[in-house]
Amino acid sequence: MANTETALKEALTSIEGATGVALVDYTSGMALGTMGGSKTFDLNVAAAGNTDVVRAKMRTMEMLGLKGEIEDILITLTGQYHLIRLLKSRGGNGLFLYLVLDSGRANLAMARHQLKKIEAELEI
Amino acid sequence: MTVVQIPPPPLPVRDKSATRALSPMLTRLAEERATGVLVREHGTLYLAEGRVVHAESPFAPGLDVLLTAHGTLAATAWQRAADRTAGPLHAAELLLASGLLPAGALELCHLDALYDAGYFALAPSSAPGRFRYDSGPRLGPLPSVPVVALERETLRRRLLLHRLWPDPAADSAPLIRADPAAGPAAAPVAPRQRAVLDRVDGVRTATQIARNLGRQAFHTLVDVRRLVAAGHVAPRPAAPVPPPPPPVTDPDIALLKRLRDALEAL
Repeated sequence: MANTETALKEALTSIEGATGVALVDYTSGMALGTMGGSKTFDLNVAAAGNTDVVRAKMRTMEMLGLKGEIEDILITLTGQYHLIRLLKSRGGNGLFLYLVLDSGRANLAMARHQLKKIEAELEI
Repeated sequence: MTVVQIPPPPLPVRDKSATRALSPMLTRLAEERATGVLVREHGTLYLAEGRVVHAESPFAPGLDVLLTAHGTLAATAWQRAADRTAGPLHAAELLLASGLLPAGALELCHLDALYDAGYFALAPSSAPGRFRYDSGPRLGPLPSVPVVALERETLRRRLLLHRLWPDPAADSAPLIRADPAAGPAAAPVAPRQRAVLDRVDGVRTATQIARNLGRQAFHTLVDVRRLVAAGHVAPRPAAPVPPPPPPVTDPDIALLKRLRDALEAL
């Protein structure tokens, strides 16, 4: 039963190597909450941009006739991991958690597991 | 001899850049950290100490609709809370305090509803807004939003809609299904858009569809503009205005009028 801010804070502090986290509405591309990031890494811009990633994947699945749902999306950069986890809320709000990890320090499997737990706590 | 043409000095025009405040009045209120209610043509903003705590618009479904439409909360539970409190914001706080709603779910719905109604409240209007100083709105347990953040988001949303399909006609007009023959290779429609498309009946507008689905109005505008761009939906053309009656030239009528005027003059 966490509120948004504690959920984001938990993601940033408990997940090893996390440098930024955002909760994003993927219809409008608006970040409902952000934490971390830096002067050179604007999480609001990242949120809006990654909305297109999620939408493109959804459209592709629709075209292929795939019935499954996206659980998460991993993007691997040379020095970073970007992890997108879609919220399966009953509200059908269409939200995702966006996590930026430093690939040198992060444990990917652990990060995925913890993000899943944070998602479950946010909207039970 | 050469004629030197001096261009006339440019007329002073209003700066139309995107950074311009949407409502100078709202900016001023935020600076003075005002508390009260700002009523604009398309919606109402509730300010507490210069921050937006709540927004309402007849175009955007309220927190009650968003919470109850998808089973997050039973409609009766909302009704019971609403009966005991002054407004939707207080009802939501009561539900939170009584533990009927998880804090995260409520916060997200609250922010969704706030930005959604705020988008319409800050829409260009033909009438000036009115502000009433009122100690009613206060900073509660639910998150509030700085005025600049709401304005920035509203501008971003306008640009997003404009990028998807530049014609705003479909935002307010009743929607009809476009001619299916016009687009034979129509792109598949995503499930969220399918739900919108199924409710296009020539009567409902985009915001009425949003209310019917229990979704945010802006998100439905996004879906509708995408459907218009893909050729699935079109705004219903306005009913043609009947031509004005032709000017009277019939000599009989002219005669009768003169007769009437003469009788009245007696």
